[in-house]
Amino acid sequence: MLFHTWPFAVFMLVVLPVFFALRNTRLWIPWLLVASYFFYGWWNPFYLLLVLYSTTLDFFLVALMDRCPREGPAVRLAGCLRFEDGVLRVAFLITATAALACGAAAVAGPATLRPTLLALVFILALMALGALLRSRRTWLLISVVNNLLLLLFFKYAHFVAENLNALLGWLHVAARLPEPATLMPWGWTYLLPVGISFFTFQSLSYTIDFYRGFAQRERNFLRFATFVCFFPQLMAGPIERARHLLPQFQKFPAIRLQNFTDGGSLFLVGLFKKLALANYLALYVDPIYENPGAQGAAALLLATVAFGWQIFFDFSGYTDMARGLARMMGFHLILNFNNPYLATSLGDFWRRWHISLSSWFRDYVYIPLGGNQRGSLLTYRNLFIAFLISGIWHGAAWTFVIWGVLHAAGIMITRELERSAFYRDRVPKLLKQAGVFAFVSLTWIFFRAGSLADATLILKRIGSAAWTDPRIPLLMVALVAVVWLYQFIYESRFRAVLQHGAVRVGLAAAMLIYVCLLSSGGKSFIYFQF
Amino acid sequence: MKPEAAHCLQDTTFVNELRLNARQWLAVFALVAVALWALPRLWAKLERWEINSDFRIPYAMSKDYWFYERYLEHAPAHERVLVLGDSVMWGEYVLPDGALPHFLNATAGASNRFINAGVNGLYPLAMEGLYAHHGAALRGRKILLHCNPLWMSSPQADLQMEQGGEINHTRLLPQCSPRIPAYKADADERLSAVLERNLPFFGWARHLQDACYGQQSILNWTLAPGNAYRNPLAALTLTIRAAPQDDAKRGPHSKRHKPWTATTEPTQLAWVPLKSSLQWAAFQRTVARLQAQHNDVLVLVGPFNEHLMTEENRPVYRQLRDEMVAWLKSENIPCCAPEPLPSELYADASHPLTEGYRLLAAQLFADAAFRTWQK
Repeated sequence: MLFHTWPFAVFMLVVLPVFFALRNTRLWIPWLLVASYFFYGWWNPFYLLLVLYSTTLDFFLVALMDRCPREGPAVRLAGCLRFEDGVLRVAFLITATAALACGAAAVAGPATLRPTLLALVFILALMALGALLRSRRTWLLISVVNNLLLLLFFKYAHFVAENLNALLGWLHVAARLPEPATLMPWGWTYLLPVGISFFTFQSLSYTIDFYRGFAQRERNFLRFATFVCFFPQLMAGPIERARHLLPQFQKFPAIRLQNFTDGGSLFLVGLFKKLALANYLALYVDPIYENPGAQGAAALLLATVAFGWQIFFDFSGYTDMARGLARMMGFHLILNFNNPYLATSLGDFWRRWHISLSSWFRDYVYIPLGGNQRGSLLTYRNLFIAFLISGIWHGAAWTFVIWGVLHAAGIMITRELERSAFYRDRVPKLLKQAGVFAFVSLTWIFFRAGSLADATLILKRIGSAAWTDPRIPLLMVALVAVVWLYQFIYESRFRAVLQHGAVRVGLAAAMLIYVCLLSSGGKSFIYFQF
Repeated sequence: MKPEAAHCLQDTTFVNELRLNARQWLAVFALVAVALWALPRLWAKLERWEINSDFRIPYAMSKDYWFYERYLEHAPAHERVLVLGDSVMWGEYVLPDGALPHFLNATAGASNRFINAGVNGLYPLAMEGLYAHHGAALRGRKILLHCNPLWMSSPQADLQMEQGGEINHTRLLPQCSPRIPAYKADADERLSAVLERNLPFFGWARHLQDACYGQQSILNWTLAPGNAYRNPLAALTLTIRAAPQDDAKRGPHSKRHKPWTATTEPTQLAWVPLKSSLQWAAFQRTVARLQAQHNDVLVLVGPFNEHLMTEENRPVYRQLRDEMVAWLKSENIPCCAPEPLPSELYADASHPLTEGYRLLAAQLFADAAFRTWQK
């Protein structure tokens, strides 16, 4: 269900009034959960099992982590077998028994269930070990492994198998990894579950933050499940942190008229970005990127720049709508985009672009690796690793790996440049902004291209092909220019002009009429594929 | 990704601050409501079409129901007969002056007594939606309604097959009930269709697309060859042109204007019994609606190209046709079921060629029921 479709409007017409009607009862959280599961199940009800599995496991892992001492005990096997904590003993018995049962079923049961059962045996055995060792670190490890395994299987398995099989073939080794689709139970279709990268990261942040002592344990399963799959941000973020969103679910939010006016404002801007801008730009970009070999240099260059704006409008439009919907219900979701194309350095860009993801990698990858505390070389190594993972997070293809590596390289270069007084003080801000925009646009080629071969072809043709008429509609150019100008004025000393009531009313009315008259249909959001 | 960038998670709500308060929202709603209400009405007042005695809805505007509604309103009620139906009445293979309404006018000795209000691609289930949602002007009129048995000639034509292929005029179909097995659309498409038929603004927006932008959205139009640097507003026109008299796809000089035998062999048709036919049920509901709106309706059944059927298939069709006539008579609805035209006057299973229409008009005027009714 997409935010800009009529079924979603009907969905909200049911969900919102019931939500407000339940404000004096304890049913508002179950209602939000039911609504969220319905929202997700509309796409594919079978994959609700996956969300439920991930949620349940992390909920219980943190509950078990809570039973373990903060400082890990010295592990002695004889000592381990004497359980002082009854809950851990029960957990051990259940997980060990379940692991044995799953193992037996894997051996004796139908072949179609074997891979799933073996994966369960692995997780259950780890859990039994966690109960045995009474180690917080082990519970955390299980959560990380489980969530990453889900991601690895559903998002990367095909890519990994394909590349490893090619490598094995090159090494003349006869063994081959199976196609992931053959590992699905009962022959279910192997699909990438929408939003898997978002809800697994959100759930994972809870276990990591609890382990570190940054988040409280949530004792109510329904509340925790609502946090993991809160429908406005379930499909494409922003990736919320437990310490920010979970406390908001403790009591019914205070609802004021401003919730609706603010939420409506955010939703309208998001809707306009998606329907009027992103979908329009896609009409120009898609045909060019589908057949790059037939395009001239100017068309490829302009399509690349247009894609940069398309993905910005698409993704930031989605998060604006998500934040607007949450705001209408009295909840605050974190800011995800802050005029990224006005960034003056790549570091600045990543503090403005997909903020919830870049801060996730900062907090859970970059800083744990040592951040910038251990000298330049290690800082660069940490940056490189963080951006490499960020690239892979976006998709299972070499193009995304290269995209991540390019950003890592770019951030290192701008970081070095910023150390020089000349660059810092003498180079005009506009030039820096243009430089960052040009670099980011260049990297979008790898992000958007269908394959590595296509990406290199596009780069080659931009440099060598004839400069034929790109046939980019003037209306499209004008719309993007107006948006850029708006952002530019907003960050300048003329901001007051845009904040005038009549200007706001005029802009909002114009956007609504434009959407009604010209919107180009219900194309899905780009970031849903991640 | 600097650790010091902790401000990223601060609870900032707005960037660029297009933030409206309640009063401003009211102003926005008022402005938009006025625009949505006024624009279609203003446009309807200003737009003109080149109407002539043989005017019919231009082919490109077959799905422009907003325009069709205005076309029906425009047709004067007094002593005029609206000829309603699908492409057989519209005249798929012929020019405007080769369609049935032209020859009816000619036979009656009038210039525009019979008005061509046929719609290309229509069928009974869509016809029902068209007249229910866009036929407000069909009240107290004299209506010649065509019933084309083609739509019951197979389960596919009757839209009973789950894998039915592409369907025309889906926005006119019942979106919820009765269920049409061949109509596959997601909830968004169905809800959009329901909203469009109830909010004239959306119909008007589609009218602009059909009339000015080559049946595509304005945004798609800007991407069409030659349009990239054109001003979309300059393409707006307040004049609807009549169908061209030199249409290469239609008329005696077109390649398509030839007897069916040139392309088709006699065939066996899997006629759907009337009691289980979705199309026939829709046709019955349409007739009932038109009558309830005090229209004087005469139904023209066929004439279907019986030459196209195999020998053993004809009795099945005849029985079906007789059942249709029997039902119409039982409901006291005047009807004509002329004998089939000569084989060489059909272009396909149901569309006559120009001479076929001329002969059909003569046959109708020879029919006492028709003569009495049309006076």
